[in-house]
Amino acid sequence: MIDLLGYGAFFMSSALIFGLIALGLNLQWGQTGLFNVGIAGFVAIGAYTSAILTTPETADRIGGFDWPILAGWLAAALVTAAAAALTGFATLRLKSDYLAITTFGVAVVVQLVALNAQSLTGGPFGVAFIPRPFASLQDQPVLFNFINLGVIAAVTVAVYLALEHLARSPWGRVLKALREDERAAISLGKSAKSYRIQAFAAGGAVMGLAGAVQAHFIGFIAPNGYLPTLTFQVWAMLMVGGSGSNRGAILGSVVVWAIWVGAGAFSAAVVPGDWQARAASLQIVAIGVMLCLILLWRPQGFFGPQGFFGKRRS
Amino acid sequence: MNLQFIVDGLISGSLIGLGAIGITLTYSILRFSNFAHGDFMAWGAYGTLSVVAAIGALVGTTAPIGALSFGWPLILAAIAGMIMTACLALLLDWLLFARLRDKGQSIIVVMASFGASMALRSLLEFIFTSSPTYFSRGIQMAIPIGLGIRITPDQMVMLATTIVLVTAMHLFMSRSQTGREMRAYSQNPALARVVGINVDRVVRATWIIGAALACAAGVMVGILVQIRPLMGLDLLLPMFAAAILGGIGSVPGAVLGGLIIGLSEAAAVQLIGAEWRAAIAFAILMAVLLVRPMGLFGRAER
Amino acid sequence: MSIPDVPILDVRGLIAGYEPGLSIVKGASIHADEKEIVVILGPNGAGKSSLIKAIAGLVPITGGEVLLDGRDITHGAAHLRVRQGLAFVPQTENIFPLMTVEENLRVAGGVLQRGEVQARIDETYTMFPDLARQRKLAAGSLSGGQRQMLAVGRALIVHPRVLMLDEPSAGLSPKFVEMVFARLNEIRRAGLTIVLVEQNARAALAIGDRAYVLVEGREAHEGRAATLWEDPVVAELYLGKRRHA
Ligand SMILES: Nc1ncnc2c1ncn2[C@@H]1O[C@H](COP(=O)(O)OP(=O)(O)OP(=O)(O)O)[C@@H](O)[C@H]1O
Ligand SMILES: [Mg+2]
Repeated sequence: MIDLLGYGAFFMSSALIFGLIALGLNLQWGQTGLFNVGIAGFVAIGAYTSAILTTPETADRIGGFDWPILAGWLAAALVTAAAAALTGFATLRLKSDYLAITTFGVAVVVQLVALNAQSLTGGPFGVAFIPRPFASLQDQPVLFNFINLGVIAAVTVAVYLALEHLARSPWGRVLKALREDERAAISLGKSAKSYRIQAFAAGGAVMGLAGAVQAHFIGFIAPNGYLPTLTFQVWAMLMVGGSGSNRGAILGSVVVWAIWVGAGAFSAAVVPGDWQARAASLQIVAIGVMLCLILLWRPQGFFGPQGFFGKRRS
Repeated sequence: MNLQFIVDGLISGSLIGLGAIGITLTYSILRFSNFAHGDFMAWGAYGTLSVVAAIGALVGTTAPIGALSFGWPLILAAIAGMIMTACLALLLDWLLFARLRDKGQSIIVVMASFGASMALRSLLEFIFTSSPTYFSRGIQMAIPIGLGIRITPDQMVMLATTIVLVTAMHLFMSRSQTGREMRAYSQNPALARVVGINVDRVVRATWIIGAALACAAGVMVGILVQIRPLMGLDLLLPMFAAAILGGIGSVPGAVLGGLIIGLSEAAAVQLIGAEWRAAIAFAILMAVLLVRPMGLFGRAER
Repeated sequence: MSIPDVPILDVRGLIAGYEPGLSIVKGASIHADEKEIVVILGPNGAGKSSLIKAIAGLVPITGGEVLLDGRDITHGAAHLRVRQGLAFVPQTENIFPLMTVEENLRVAGGVLQRGEVQARIDETYTMFPDLARQRKLAAGSLSGGQRQMLAVGRALIVHPRVLMLDEPSAGLSPKFVEMVFARLNEIRRAGLTIVLVEQNARAALAIGDRAYVLVEGREAHEGRAATLWEDPVVAELYLGKRRHA
């Protein structure tokens, strides 16, 4: 029973971290219409930034500055925002496809740097001994799991409230106008681009923060944690939840993560050992097909304001 | 600097260029960046591999042609593979892309292609596992051709095949009625309908050509390197970069862009190491987007 | 002139619009008989372009019907209408700028036999000698008048029965306007029916047989072209507003 509670806390923590990433994506895609296929790259930038800054000094690696965790998180958000702003600056005056292609490239390059810049990122082995919040409680696993969940939930709620506030601010209303009314975008001209860059950077900051939170939650990061599958999962989460809705982003993340973990556990129990890798591939096929079906039949998702479970728009 | 990089660069550049033709046509005619294009390459290669295996089971082992690593079954299988890949693309269009295109938001189609790409790739991993396979495990002797450059017979034939395919494509686009209709549609879809062009036919031709060329490129990668489910994903960024560098919509541009990227990658492998190869396409992409987003042969976006 | 029983182009109560629930053409009925030049006039934004675009199959139709020679083509694809003999020259962007003049003509001949296409292209060159001289040039480099000739020439490649034009004289010098209208008159004498949307009312009515005035998406007046000016309704509806604008 205690184990189950501990596992529940662990599960929710992982799901909420995805929820954070999905909140960042919702700001970029749901609120502003900017397509990001390099989510894994931006999450990795945040994770590595915070890891390098907060880990204790190590002999074989640059970094290990022993910063406080919160400082690492803040830096993660800022560095990722800068990377996102640069990406946006280079592409947002062009057709939307160019942003998509460029973000895809960002993820490829971040993966490459993580793998090959050994002296900074630890190469394929990654960075270990990332300090965990309230590490002194680690010998009481259940309590520790719940404290972790508390920290992550607090960050998620804070980001959620901040994003809700932003969406209602004049700034958020401009974004809405830009998305819904082509003429508004044209009449804003140059500043339309700058609004979009700001939104893309802010979304990037949330993704970077999520990456950092995740790194400190697990205590260890490596390049293969940031493969295209991650990008893809987050997209599925936002689309299930309903893009445009922050609440949907979080609910979608919990639901999709539950499906993902459940399917994984099911195939681990049912599928014979030598077929495990194949079953894992099938899991991705299923999510891919699901994403396409949602695009075809239910582009508004399930948990947003217009979804099944939300109040319908009159 | 060792001049061998020229041969290596030309070869990988032709493969990128062949793939980029499909990307550039999809973009200029169907108006979306197809993230599943790389997976057509992988599906084409695996499809061809399966047909080779089937032929082998029917007629037993066959001798390779001359000094090449493969025999006639591979050539037949590649043609079958191209047909199969074209059917796959048409099926995907019918099931997914056409329906979303009708709703009118091109970026949703891009997203669908991203989802389809994940599903297609993982389906290959499910069927064939993620470990690499080969058309032939024989090692080919590279023939010195002067200036310290060496080339294998396979590589020579692949270069020649690329030249033939690209020339045929160029003639098709400039001389045939379907090619003209495709160019007309990419310039002005509404006017194309007004002058009596059957849009569905243009769309079909685009998928068939793009997918068949992707399959050809995939088979060539399989012959020269190896076959893996991820082979297309790894070439996706270079292909996009080549299409944009050459100017979206331009077939010769896509090929030239591919060659430039292939040569730059090969040079970079010598200068800064093979592990950074994949970053070159990104660097070129960023440079083009910042300096000349319409590419070498492109026109400004309307 | 005796009016045949079945008009070659018959549009009845057409309703069409670009977005669902927002009709621009609101129940327009027009028809054109064999070898007739029908002029459609109307204030800016009346929906003239939308009406002929809908007839050509470019704007979704939600009500009414379009009959070509008695056959219902209301919901056919645009390219099929062309093959059934209904050609359309849009007002703007009516050529493929990156293709040569000759390619512009050739691309419209997809349904013809190979040898036939060349004969039709030569025919076009005889009608518009300017185009023959510039056959190898990119169409985008032509002057406004030459583009208009190219667009008309291309529409004629398939030998349509009805030719619809949207403001062919817009932006042309008076000399070109005269020449375009003279050509249209010749084309009609050769057996074509022409539906002409025009702002240049005087020139259009000079060659026109019948005219409609379109206001707010439906025809407000119909009459013989020669006597249209005398109608007080027309003077108020159309000319009054025109002077205002
Ligand atoms: N592509 C389009 N999408 C949405 N609305 C359109 C489109 N084209 C025209 N409209 C709208 O349809 C209405 C009628 O336009 P239309 O061009 O048919 O008028 P018109 O009579 O041809 O005017 P003009 O004399 O200026 O050419 C206008 O209110 C216009 O805003
Ligand atoms: Mg008009």
